[in-house]
Amino acid sequence: MGDGAAIAGLGMTELGKVYGRSPRRLAADAVRLAVADAGLALGDLDGLLVSHGLGGSPGIELADTLGLRDLRLLTHMNAFGATAGAMVSYAAMSVLSGAASTVACVFSDAPLKPRQSAGSAYQRDAPEWYGFGGMTAALGFRSVNAFYALAAQRHMARYGTTSEQLGAIAVSTREWAARNPLAQMRDPISLADHQASRWVAEPLHLLDCCLVSNGAVAVVVTGAARARDLARPPVHLWGWGQGHPGHRKERGSEFGLTTGAVSSGRSAMTMAGVTAADVDVCELYDCYTYTVLVSLEDYGFCAKGEGGAFAASGALGPGGTLPTNTGGGQLSGYYMWGMTPLSEAVVQARGDGGERQAVANDVILVSGNGGILDHHATLIVSPHERGTA
Amino acid sequence: MDIGVLRRDGRTDPFFDGTAAGRLVVRRCAACDRWLAPDAGGCPGCGDEDPGWAEASGAATLVTWTVTHGRPAGDGTVPPPAVLALVELAEGPWLHARLDAADPAALRGRLREGLPLTAVFVPTEQGEAHLLFRPEQGD
Repeated sequence: MGDGAAIAGLGMTELGKVYGRSPRRLAADAVRLAVADAGLALGDLDGLLVSHGLGGSPGIELADTLGLRDLRLLTHMNAFGATAGAMVSYAAMSVLSGAASTVACVFSDAPLKPRQSAGSAYQRDAPEWYGFGGMTAALGFRSVNAFYALAAQRHMARYGTTSEQLGAIAVSTREWAARNPLAQMRDPISLADHQASRWVAEPLHLLDCCLVSNGAVAVVVTGAARARDLARPPVHLWGWGQGHPGHRKERGSEFGLTTGAVSSGRSAMTMAGVTAADVDVCELYDCYTYTVLVSLEDYGFCAKGEGGAFAASGALGPGGTLPTNTGGGQLSGYYMWGMTPLSEAVVQARGDGGERQAVANDVILVSGNGGILDHHATLIVSPHERGTA
Repeated sequence: MDIGVLRRDGRTDPFFDGTAAGRLVVRRCAACDRWLAPDAGGCPGCGDEDPGWAEASGAATLVTWTVTHGRPAGDGTVPPPAVLALVELAEGPWLHARLDAADPAALRGRLREGLPLTAVFVPTEQGEAHLLFRPEQGD
């Protein structure tokens, strides 16, 4: 064995209300941390993939900031919330093809400003609005919340999904966050707290919506054989896939009801040689509770329309049959777009979860979701080399 | 949430000329015999980046909806909620839209998939008229 690719290093800056560092500086810090975590030096990198959130891109100039020389792979990537999974898959393919040997993948964001609410960082406002894009905002679509609310409401109307079922996801995710020292929101919440939290965009309460964080996260991808000789246990990449359903805004659209998790999950699980029944832990993109619910259905952990009942069954929380978002996710942990689920998957695969470590971690599914359920990425990772679990 | 001041941007004249006259003007690709949303970037059938314009009936149905609630102000006051929606024009395209709701709480109880809607046009003192959708009488 040893012909696969693996994550050998994980670097995370301070996350949350971290001020005074630009996105490029945060990204540079995360890459340095990831390289050190792997037991490598910056000069060992021959590839760098860069991505960003709303706070401005570090740019491929990040390579210069880090003093990297003779890179064989360098680009900026953007598939919105699906970028982290996409970056890791391109890094793995580069390693497997020999195009590069050691690739850092980084995300950074700094949308939060001191003395400004988290919500306003993602809120549009203007004295007047222009054209069609402006018309939608002028009418009241001032943030992404309303668009996801439309999706969740459609699922509710079609399948009878309830706010309490969404709340079960908020509660189980917070239970995990309470066990994660890195999580931003660790005080336990009850279903009643979820129901009492203010409406943002019905059917979404405040506790259905994710956090906003500043910071950066990086991973280092290299060959499995090399990873075995490095400082930390390798996290093997068994499979990957993307799904971009291209729902059109017209009659017959499945918007809000199905996502790219269907096809990206199938691709990744086929490549990995597993089915949903083999998955021990899920780290799902949870910009909203609803995103988790629909992803669980689309991956085949339950039937279409039964995501609500599945979430309310207790399956997702500590002690449940499918530990999900074990670090508190984006809802309660930290919001580093697709790096939130990926970073926690690395922690779980290494067995570094401490109080929150899942008992079984042989097969971990990681999702990324971008746009309004428009773009999806899936990774299957494991502490074991493929075919040996 | 109040509706903001809306301006045309040079690419939207046929649409806003329509709303000013109480008509719903959307994109239509004659070559493909295909109706498109007014904000469509082009015709996905033939690739035409500037398909023509045509008057739609203004009849629509409700696909899905949300009632949005603004952030409470420092003094605890909350802006009035807005009922936002995806609507399906009778011709097929979907629009992100706002429903005409003097009383959002009363309207909320009537909302369902497929609810028949009609386009209405509300002139404003500043900027372009607002396109809203109103449930048909009796529904």
